[in-house]
Amino acid sequence: MSHDAQTIVHIENMTKRFGNVAAVDGLDLKIRAGEFVTFLGPSGCGKTTTLRVLGGFEIPTEGRIILDGADVTRLPPNRRNVNMVFQDYALFPHMTVGQNIAFGLELKGKTKAEIDARTRELLEFLQLGGFRDRTPDQLSGGQRQRVALARALAPDPKLLLLDEPLGALDAKLRGQVQVELKDIQKRTGKTFVFVTHDQEEALTMSDRIIVMNGGKVEQDGTPEDLYFRPQSRFVAEFIGETNLISGTVRGMENGSVLINWNGVDIHGAAHGHRPTEGSKVTASLRLENVLCHPQKPANSNAIEGRVVNRLFKGSRTSVDIRVGDTGEGALLKAYLDPGDASRIRDDRLWVNWDVSHLSILQA
Amino acid sequence: MSRNTRILMSVIYWAFVVYLFVPLVLMVTMGFKDSKFIGFPIRGWTLDWYSEIFRSAEVLGAFGYTMAIALSTTFLSLVIGTWIAAFLGPHKFRGKLLVFALACMPAVIPGIISAISLRIYIQFLQIDTGMAAIILGHTIHNVPFVALVVMARLATLPKSHIEAARDLGADQLVAFSRVTLPYLKPALIGAGVFCMLLSFDDFVRSFFLGSYQPTLPVLIFAKLRSGMSPEINAISTVVLVITAILGIWAERSMRRMNKGTSV
Repeated sequence: MSHDAQTIVHIENMTKRFGNVAAVDGLDLKIRAGEFVTFLGPSGCGKTTTLRVLGGFEIPTEGRIILDGADVTRLPPNRRNVNMVFQDYALFPHMTVGQNIAFGLELKGKTKAEIDARTRELLEFLQLGGFRDRTPDQLSGGQRQRVALARALAPDPKLLLLDEPLGALDAKLRGQVQVELKDIQKRTGKTFVFVTHDQEEALTMSDRIIVMNGGKVEQDGTPEDLYFRPQSRFVAEFIGETNLISGTVRGMENGSVLINWNGVDIHGAAHGHRPTEGSKVTASLRLENVLCHPQKPANSNAIEGRVVNRLFKGSRTSVDIRVGDTGEGALLKAYLDPGDASRIRDDRLWVNWDVSHLSILQA
Repeated sequence: MSRNTRILMSVIYWAFVVYLFVPLVLMVTMGFKDSKFIGFPIRGWTLDWYSEIFRSAEVLGAFGYTMAIALSTTFLSLVIGTWIAAFLGPHKFRGKLLVFALACMPAVIPGIISAISLRIYIQFLQIDTGMAAIILGHTIHNVPFVALVVMARLATLPKSHIEAARDLGADQLVAFSRVTLPYLKPALIGAGVFCMLLSFDDFVRSFFLGSYQPTLPVLIFAKLRSGMSPEINAISTVVLVITAILGIWAERSMRRMNKGTSV
């Protein structure tokens, strides 16, 4: 299966070392045109270095960058058709909003009429109509962010790079800007490469998330893939809250994997791999995927448990459940709806889940 | 602070102000005295000394000569100083500290030592005493001040501004001229005015490196030897007014620009 026709950039086996430390280690991936791709990971995972390599600010130690079919590995930033929105926006303080946006167009040798038209179009598009003649210090954080976006979009780049551009905004504004940014990406049809350490930001906006850790890709998939079918413990723990369940594989049953978890038999799914019988595995089960029942549901292999801890959180109650009758480690975290919470007597309940939601991690 | 301490503090403050300004006030006052001799009592006032200096070819010539030297020195110092700052600022290399110390040395060497060594040096280079030699001497003295001021400003320029310019299609030269230089403008104005004042005010280097045409401070010195006269006060007052205006203007425009660029 080849996506070559749609591939806008191919990061080919790219390694970037600073001294002896490999910031990015053998990264190999293709980004499709029109995708909103997010590199997600903790600080030092190599996400920003990858972005800077794409922008031309770092030259990789090994590997190549193929942009729209051409090798740009060693091209300086001014000679590749890629633009970046910087974390601090990097608006030129001595220029007005209009001059900032026009900067890249002037350097591309556009005529005055073309520059005027494009600037006007972008100001309109990003709702900056009245701000053309203001200087950056007369703008709010959200407005500066939009000017930075307009300036980067102006030269019509093949790839728009965004380096944690929401970090400087307050929490309330950030949620709004996330929606705006996704909307702008859809309307322009541009390929956005976004870098963040904020998993919520990544889940909200991306078509595809690449989780990085220690310079390598941990998992590459849709937000749903990553959330419900994490492949590694790192991804399961980094994104959202989850139950990590360790047990021994007892065998296959009706296409699902039977696991002995501290004496309790449970069913799970191995997405795309086959754990061998007798091996120790860890599985991830999201809190919201644990279904709690006040009475034992009919025709199901629900297991009995006891609520050992309750935390009221408004719209739902977070509970710790001790499952089965043996074992210290058989603890499960889950959420209760207000209705269920009131119907549970003596803290006794039954839990089950959709088998595909108990995702067995690789290694 | 007790009442007594407060009174004592303000007395000290005003005593210091008087100590600072009395000589200046005396100098300015004597320039308007209708007599050939400086000193009290003052029996009459006149503007003759001013009309005399504005008609004197000697004074006007010295003023123009000094201005020309100051302007050339300032231009050269800004170019060389900015170049050194831009070179020393972002690059890391062995012996950076040594280069920096060498570049700054002319600022701390005593004027007389520097003047004598420069005099020997121009002889060695076979440069005649006169304007070129004075400009050379003043520039060497002023470059460190420019370099220090520009470096301090350059250190506050976010790296991302240059990267953004490069990202939008600017090569290194364009990024420097369109982003770095405008950012440095307040520092360049401040350093430039300081260079002007240093050069205009300099006596020792100008005296050692000059030829028959005197600079203004050298002319004043020569006139002093033939006796104090209110003419000197008038010249000094004009210089005082010009330098004060220049200094205040530089201070104000730097303040305004710094406010605009602190994003």
